[in-house]
Amino acid sequence: MSTSFLERVSAVSQRRLPFDARNDSLFGLLLAAPGVVLFLSFMLFPIAFLVYLSLTDATHAGTVIGGDATIVGLENYIELVTDAQFWTSLTVTWLFLAVSLAIKIVLGLGLAMLLTHARVIGKRYMRAVVIIPMGLPAIFIVTVWRGLFSGARFGPFNELLASYNDIITGVVGLFDQAVFFAAVSAPELLLVDLPISWLSGRWSAFLAYVMTEVWLAYPFMVIIIVSALQDVPMELHDAAKVDGAGYLYRFVHVTVPAVKRPVMFASILTAATSFQQFLIPWIFNGGGPSRQNELLIVYGYREAIELNQYAFASAIMVTAIAFIGLFMWLAVRKGDLAAGVNGA
Amino acid sequence: MNAIIAVLGSVISTVASWTRKKATWPLRVIHAVRLPVQQVRAGNRSVLDLAKTALGTGSALAVLAVLMFPLYWIFAASLSSGTGLMSTDGLFADPTTYNLDAYRWVLFESPFVDALRNSLVVVFVTVTVSMSVVIPGAYALSRHEFRGRKKILYGYVLFTQVGAGLSIATLIALYVLFNSVGLSNNLLVLGLFYAAGAVPFNTWLLKTFMDNIPVSYEEAAVIDGAGRWQVIREVILPLSKPGIAVVLVFTFLAGWNEFIVARTLLRPENYTLSVELYALATAGQYDTPWTQFSAFAMLFAMPVALIYFFAQSYVESGLSFGGMEG
Repeated sequence: MSTSFLERVSAVSQRRLPFDARNDSLFGLLLAAPGVVLFLSFMLFPIAFLVYLSLTDATHAGTVIGGDATIVGLENYIELVTDAQFWTSLTVTWLFLAVSLAIKIVLGLGLAMLLTHARVIGKRYMRAVVIIPMGLPAIFIVTVWRGLFSGARFGPFNELLASYNDIITGVVGLFDQAVFFAAVSAPELLLVDLPISWLSGRWSAFLAYVMTEVWLAYPFMVIIIVSALQDVPMELHDAAKVDGAGYLYRFVHVTVPAVKRPVMFASILTAATSFQQFLIPWIFNGGGPSRQNELLIVYGYREAIELNQYAFASAIMVTAIAFIGLFMWLAVRKGDLAAGVNGA
Repeated sequence: MNAIIAVLGSVISTVASWTRKKATWPLRVIHAVRLPVQQVRAGNRSVLDLAKTALGTGSALAVLAVLMFPLYWIFAASLSSGTGLMSTDGLFADPTTYNLDAYRWVLFESPFVDALRNSLVVVFVTVTVSMSVVIPGAYALSRHEFRGRKKILYGYVLFTQVGAGLSIATLIALYVLFNSVGLSNNLLVLGLFYAAGAVPFNTWLLKTFMDNIPVSYEEAAVIDGAGRWQVIREVILPLSKPGIAVVLVFTFLAGWNEFIVARTLLRPENYTLSVELYALATAGQYDTPWTQFSAFAMLFAMPVALIYFFAQSYVESGLSFGGMEG
């Protein structure tokens, strides 16, 4: 999945076997066909059906099956662009994507630099630990984080904040005793009002989504950046040091150019998955409160399965697929995908 | 007799050296700590230098501890049945009260076993179906030139990297289609669907692996008079074993981990493990049975996580395998 992986693929030039070429072509096609047919029948065919549905007035599964649906043209799409919920959903989806991507890049870069730093002993073991979230099932991670964000008084994050409050009050209390002539009490500004019902507030729920998404996806970032950093020759840093370059200068002129392309590639891929994020909002609070945090796919899913608006939901999903297509185009244009295919 | 003694001797010496290596790690740590201290005493190394290293390692460990907090929490919670978890006692229960009651509940009183059976049925279908199309497909894409080969590869890579959420987008259409033919509550159909979704990534992975098997082996077999099928059976398949093992793991995970399609299509009697885990997690707003949930989650995720990391390291070694020929 990493770029080096694709590079290695493209580096291998393949020779063909000396079987009869004309016959061979058919043989290869026959071997590859079952996989392609299976894939297309469960992926391309439903997409085509989805496009058809989005042009009808189907409301629930029964109307579709019973043949009661009639073609209404682009009516669903007109309804979609005039639906306020669509714009809320689209905005929050892009906001979620942007915020989580920014944090992922900063965290990934920081971790990768820390875990390739010469001063850190046992880097290899730490790198093995840091990518653990990648091997865990997504449903496991999301349900566990839902537990961490429990709104109960003794939920883990509320409990952590409670100890933070205790520390602040304690420090201020010490200060109060030291400066005996003035009555000092902990400033309300520094204290957190507990318990926080994380998933019932709009922005606290949004924050919870972002944190979970970052935790889900940062290992991928770290792996990509670490392998890019390891390709930077040490002499480059040494030469810069000899020339008297400071830490910041070396970061901007040595590290950043080395990781720019891999980070961009990884960003496109992880942004595409963030855009399609479904499990986090759905399991945390169903995209609430009051549908304010419904990411695009959740919006489409709810309209279909819960509100029985199949045709309308299909229009949403077709729109989402169009955006996903945009990401695919970006990945081909800016990423190394083409190199992997053409070289092999 | 002598042979037996020789075998026994070698086994014992292997075990002994392994045990020594494992048992002496505290000594080696002490040595690793003592060495820099001696260096500082001898004046070969400045105290500042040593402090910098200690600071760097310490901060890396601290960051790691913060990042891994959720896992530690869920693990501790699964052992805290009947203790003061999520109460005034603090974030974690007293370690002396740790027990396995929650695990006992999951295994004997929860729907875990039934759900496990359903999951295994789904996974079995996913693995057999996808393996039977992935292996020939990967071989064809790696070794044969035919019309549309590049298009197929492009499609597979694009879907692998970008389109993972497409299955949710198409879920509406699938739901209608499956319902119309009465197949919505069917574990076999679900397994087939996962198999279809697993085709692109795994075909690509195995094709990459096969690309790294030198063609000269096949050429040698052809010169020795082997036919097309013989080459596949006696050269390609045996040499691809590590790659096939990895693909096996990934297709297994595809069936094991998925949640929302299963949740939408299945009825309660057919729920898989991931759906039951969700049901447990959302059982109530404030009275979620945390210890039971965490034991369930641990049993659901940890075995497959271990398999995953085993496979992941295999992917790396598998890819470097081809490098031996340059």
